Amino acid sequence: MASRITSGARLCVRTSIDKLVCNLSRSRHHNAVDTAAVRRGSDRILQCYQKQSNRMRSDHQRNHCRRFTTLQDTDTDSLSSIDPYRLLDDDLRDVYTDITRELELNTNQDELRTIATYYFDGQGKALRPMVAILMAHAINYHMNNNGLDKKQREVAMIAEMIHSASLIHDDVIDQSDFRRGKPSVNALWSHKKVAMAGDYILAVTSMMIARLNHNDVTITLSQIITDLVQGEFMQLGSKETENERFAHYLTKTYRKTASLIANSVKAEAMLAGADDQLVDVSFEYGRNIGLAFQLVDDLLDFVSSKDAMGKPTAADLKLGLATAPVLFACEKYPELNAMIMRRFQEPGDAERAFELVHKSQGLEQTRFLAKKHCLEATRLAGKIAESPYQKSLLVVPDLIVNRMK
Amino acid sequence: MNTTPAAFRLLWPRISKNSASAVVCYRRPYASSATAVHNGNQQKPDWNRAVSEAEKIVGYPTSFLSLRWLLSDEIANVALHLRKLVGSNHPLLKTAKGLLYNGRNNMQAWGLIVLLISKAAGHLNVDEMEEDKAAGVLHSQRALAEVTEMIRTSHLVHNGLVNIYPGLYPEPVILNDMAFGNKIALLSGDYLLSNSCAELASLRNQDLVELISSALRDLSEAEFVGRRDSQNNPLPSPFEPLNRHFNSKLPLNPLEPSDSLGNMPLTPALQDWTKRNVLSAGSLLGKSCQGTLALAGHGVELQKQGFLFGKHLSLAWQAYLDLEPFMSGSPYSLGISFNLTSAPVMFHLEHDPSLFEEIDKGVNSVQDVDYAKIHSIVMKGPGIDYTKQLQKEHSRKAMEVLEVFEESDARTALSNIIVAMGGE
Repeated sequence: MASRITSGARLCVRTSIDKLVCNLSRSRHHNAVDTAAVRRGSDRILQCYQKQSNRMRSDHQRNHCRRFTTLQDTDTDSLSSIDPYRLLDDDLRDVYTDITRELELNTNQDELRTIATYYFDGQGKALRPMVAILMAHAINYHMNNNGLDKKQREVAMIAEMIHSASLIHDDVIDQSDFRRGKPSVNALWSHKKVAMAGDYILAVTSMMIARLNHNDVTITLSQIITDLVQGEFMQLGSKETENERFAHYLTKTYRKTASLIANSVKAEAMLAGADDQLVDVSFEYGRNIGLAFQLVDDLLDFVSSKDAMGKPTAADLKLGLATAPVLFACEKYPELNAMIMRRFQEPGDAERAFELVHKSQGLEQTRFLAKKHCLEATRLAGKIAESPYQKSLLVVPDLIVNRMK
Repeated sequence: MNTTPAAFRLLWPRISKNSASAVVCYRRPYASSATAVHNGNQQKPDWNRAVSEAEKIVGYPTSFLSLRWLLSDEIANVALHLRKLVGSNHPLLKTAKGLLYNGRNNMQAWGLIVLLISKAAGHLNVDEMEEDKAAGVLHSQRALAEVTEMIRTSHLVHNGLVNIYPGLYPEPVILNDMAFGNKIALLSGDYLLSNSCAELASLRNQDLVELISSALRDLSEAEFVGRRDSQNNPLPSPFEPLNRHFNSKLPLNPLEPSDSLGNMPLTPALQDWTKRNVLSAGSLLGKSCQGTLALAGHGVELQKQGFLFGKHLSLAWQAYLDLEPFMSGSPYSLGISFNLTSAPVMFHLEHDPSLFEEIDKGVNSVQDVDYAKIHSIVMKGPGIDYTKQLQKEHSRKAMEVLEVFEESDARTALSNIIVAMGGE
């Protein structure tokens, strides 16, 4: 019995990847996962995905699937010495300083300055600016452009600013007290002012976007904001049925996390003057990195210590959110379904769910799914001309999967 | 009122009968008292007529602008959640009611103003496909008018958050309701903002994106000006010396240094009031009017006139709203709360700073001040006359801009709106 479920779950993961890849090539950039199609699934996630992938295989896009299944692991041994952060040191060093300057320039109110710049203290990982600048360099090299354009560096700043604006609003929504190891904004300032500071960052960011003076880049970067808000709305509802849950989770993850990375690297490629195909490669790379990043984040929520994450563990459960590890664990422990529906609100729910996730294969399966996305990102990066930057693009997936916080 | 957003009426069926009637019942007594107030003031019917006639000129009522976003899943979701909040005290309900019933406070007519000035100015060398011939405006101008209303609404909704601090709600159930209300308010506002960004981006005009984004920046900055109580309600601060806070480095600064407003010399109180209200209102309407003229292909000079028109119109409007509690027969004399940074109070404080003693009782909560007392003090002072003059000066400035345009039905409609406000 146990082995059947385990292998079933593993199959589920595998088919879900196939489905994703198919969907990706089919869908335009706005919808990473075709929820309408997924909704037709049957009782269990497994069956749902099997049917899905069968349907997809008979699709006119089947060659995309085949290409994926013949994908081979990239040899990453030779890359182990590459550190993208060191490579980009010159470009990244002043990113936070420059963002802070931009935010300080646009207001005369000291308190607004303080709140708006609070999370730009240089303590963040700067993952988004790093990936954006890396892609910009790699595409520039591919296109024989000169070094990093000023506008491309601005896109990296914009990505981090949109991210911070959303963190600030998340803090009000989640009522969290800590973030990145320090008191969160809403613990220090009133909710209304924090909400306004978030709007302010968004406004200043939009002004920067406008100054890039590129119509399609503006549309691409605005899409991030729309996705973030829609993702947040998806997180509100738990109305979806068991079958829809995983698709719902993936779409939400795309909108809340992956869209930002995907669309910012897409903007970098557009500014480099890349053709549509190369722009698509960038976008897909960013999307896969983003999904992997969030999957690992959801995984770490169950295993990291409070000190490493700078926030309490199992925070998602306490917020009533069912992430990948729980959804996978559901396969083995159906009693989790009821808890998901009531958003872990009853006493002992969060603790019990935490325990069941650890007893199940949920964490391994989540990591497996993250690795699959990383592999796909690596494959996509292989389409870009070889350069130190392109090599770093191959390393980023490993950084993401192996990170401890 | 004709300016009630029809789109919000559409939202109605989504809210259960119970909650709908609850809201209606709650609102009715206030509505009737509001009518009583305005009966002493003959301008209201004129206002209605001016607005509804203006709406006919630019095609369909402004409120229809928002139909598209109101029919989205996200807003349906919000409506469902709002239902849960009925019975709680969360101000989001009041904001929603305000939008539904559209007190003049909300200036729902902003989109209408943008369309009217678009039509009054006409457009140059534009692709015919881009034109809404029947209304005499461009599709892009209509989109901009919609963005203006969405930004304005999102700001109101975000302003409707509650500052929750330890000890404010000892009852966990109430605390939960309030936290949930904040969440919905924040998300709804963000939804409108994200839609505005997408809509603006689709207009493919980066100068416009920057201009309108800077108006959003100004709105957020407005909430940080001066002293605030624990719920972020503004209180007058000691007045700053003249022209101190003009920052020439601020990109697209809506504030301009000046020495006077028509016949009124600039004073610290006038400067303070102007700064607050340009940031919280004048900037958005001014920049939207400026932007719509840019979309029509007009030059920088005319765009500047558009900005001035929107700015002065909104300030005239604000002065008029500030006066309302001090009109004869107003129930505010009985102690109903009013804005402590309204023009009559600010002018009075400049005339007699001893009133700060009363104001300072509200540093923790503006509810703690004695409104009846402040009302009677202000009524006896020069603040009301100054405010009437303020309103006239801004109305006159707005009218002056209108003379730049050729005679047209849209121009007449705009001047009717200014007259209906009691100006000129």
